[in-house]
Amino acid sequence: MSRRYDARTTIFSPEGRLYQVEYAMEAISHASTALGILAKDGLVIAAEKKVASKLLDETQGGEKIYIINDNMICGVAGFTSDANILINYAQTAAQQYLYTYNEDMPCEQLVQKLCDLKQGYTQYGGLRPFGVSFIYGGWDEHFGFQLYHSDPSGNYAGWKATCIGANTASAQGILRQEYKEEGVTLQEAKNLAIKVLSKTMDTTSLGSDKIEFATLEHKDGRVVRRVFNQAEIEALLKENNLLTKTEEAK
Amino acid sequence: MAGSYDRALTVFSPDGHLFQVDYAVEAVRKGSCVVGVRGSDVVVLGVEKKSVMKLQDERTVKKICMLDDHVCLAFAGLSADARVLVNKARIECQSHRLTVEDAVSIEYITRYIAGVQQKYTQSGGVRPFGISTLIIGFDSDKVPKLYQTDPSGVYSAWKANAIGRSSKTVREFLEKNYKEEMDRAESIKLAIRSLLEVVQTGAKNIEIAIMGTDSVIQRLELAEIEKVVAEIEAENEKEKEKSKPSTSQ
Amino acid sequence: MDTLFGITGKDFVITAYDSKAVASITLMKIGEDKSRELNSHALMLFSGEPGDGVHFSEYVERNIKLYGIRNGIELSPRAVASFARRELADSLRSRKPYSVNLLIAGFDVKTNKPALYWLDHLASLADVPFAAHGYGAYYCLSLLDRYHREDITEEEGIKLLDKCIKELRSRMILNMPDFVAKIVNKDGIRLVQLGGN
Repeated sequence: MSRRYDARTTIFSPEGRLYQVEYAMEAISHASTALGILAKDGLVIAAEKKVASKLLDETQGGEKIYIINDNMICGVAGFTSDANILINYAQTAAQQYLYTYNEDMPCEQLVQKLCDLKQGYTQYGGLRPFGVSFIYGGWDEHFGFQLYHSDPSGNYAGWKATCIGANTASAQGILRQEYKEEGVTLQEAKNLAIKVLSKTMDTTSLGSDKIEFATLEHKDGRVVRRVFNQAEIEALLKENNLLTKTEEAK
Repeated sequence: MAGSYDRALTVFSPDGHLFQVDYAVEAVRKGSCVVGVRGSDVVVLGVEKKSVMKLQDERTVKKICMLDDHVCLAFAGLSADARVLVNKARIECQSHRLTVEDAVSIEYITRYIAGVQQKYTQSGGVRPFGISTLIIGFDSDKVPKLYQTDPSGVYSAWKANAIGRSSKTVREFLEKNYKEEMDRAESIKLAIRSLLEVVQTGAKNIEIAIMGTDSVIQRLELAEIEKVVAEIEAENEKEKEKSKPSTSQ
Repeated sequence: MDTLFGITGKDFVITAYDSKAVASITLMKIGEDKSRELNSHALMLFSGEPGDGVHFSEYVERNIKLYGIRNGIELSPRAVASFARRELADSLRSRKPYSVNLLIAGFDVKTNKPALYWLDHLASLADVPFAAHGYGAYYCLSLLDRYHREDITEEEGIKLLDKCIKELRSRMILNMPDFVAKIVNKDGIRLVQLGGN
């Protein structure tokens, strides 16, 4: 019976649910993990990279962490192709705002803008919802460093630390336990992010080729984005004594 | 099924139902409970607030929102839908001021919102909005107003009403306990008391917004809500005490 | 024929406009409002084509207001000015462009600094310490140049405005009736009484 209501996206089921949206979320819970942690002096976005091949050309950039504008980065979980469309939309929206107001777009407005598009895809006919969740990290003069999460339904919320993709439950658990009530420093956040990834990733060997990592901080009155390269991630793993034997042997 | 996206999704069933609208109402019923109470010179909105998770930022949870300086809305149902609908209403408020140099009346903006909701039950390829709203405010006549809209696009004026989870229970409670010409404190108390019918966890899961004749919205602090809850509990105790001896006789 | 003034001080901006409504060479009315409050800390003064000024400034006013209600935060004076400039620039390239000159006076509550923007009918925007539009500019910019300091007080600002208006009245062949002055500072926007009329 329920099939009558899940074939088309824009239809309510008799219980008032939107199956297509729920299925999209289901798809995301199988995607590789991405997490974000807010610190007092910055924030971290980290992600597990599933496709790791020696033949893959890394110069093109990763597929889990993206830059939206000068003061915002984001991590994705779900269909990368859908993410590409939305990231492009977000980047354009951010520049459009800059063009109009001559100021950088406040983070929440950018998140909202993207969510309004996502919501539209759950209400208008003939379209399926976007199969991606995002974690956004940004800074603006109104609320300082901020972390947001949004899902295919077009809902969003602000967080201190959160996680999307596979193994969310266990990752959230660790975050809840380890995140200090009074906040953490960027260094602590970086270590915590690595720790969560090491505990939740399916693979036994944690290598720099399986991780994407980025931070946002404030230096000399400017927001500094930093997307880590392989060597930097390796250094970070070493710091946390998480480099696997095989990697060390190299 | 193919190529059917330009067809109305909400169509009459043989027995005259608009199923999609009924199901949207189901979505509203799943939403957290909202009450509205009209006093003599005050309107109160009370909202059942879901507890935020430990790592969540409370600032971003917005169940009560301003449409203009003098109109306030609370909703039950899908919050992404609400955000989009609220946005449309906010544009209409300013557009109205621009065209006729007057602020919207509460009935006008309610009718506008209901109109948009109605359109989404009839247009091609869209589903209805999965929300009901309560709208409060004051027009220039300084009379408190309380309106309700629902997914079908119906709107109506109320003295007191509830939408969302267990709204039937709460409405029945309001019907029993509503008095004409309540003052500010009584109106707030009735709103909280009725919410307590469905909110077991008490003050920390209740949010209250009050609007007086000056059209300024005031949100109650947790401590103030706790105080009223304590008052109500004390009164309930007293009631019990009173009824005890009478039953034992 | 309209004249607008704007002068920034240490922690405020004072603005003034002549309150006359004119048709051709005839004075129709005194007491015309040539300003609109865009939000709690931004004021727009307009001159030029009479209908255009009202229409454009109200359009901007409503958009700024919508922004405030939608986002729960207010635009800074700089953002307001940029928005107005963009709208005017777009209109300029449309079939029926607005013909307005504007001053935008504001107080940035984030940086605690006053801000004054000069915007002409060709949509060029300048961030200035003092400004004037209309014939007043020809007579008074030299005065402002001579007497304006970055750190003037409100009283000094009002005195300087009085000086400008006096100059106008003694030099211009036209009758220069009442000016209306408004101050924007950290507390918002308020009317002020000009002195030595």
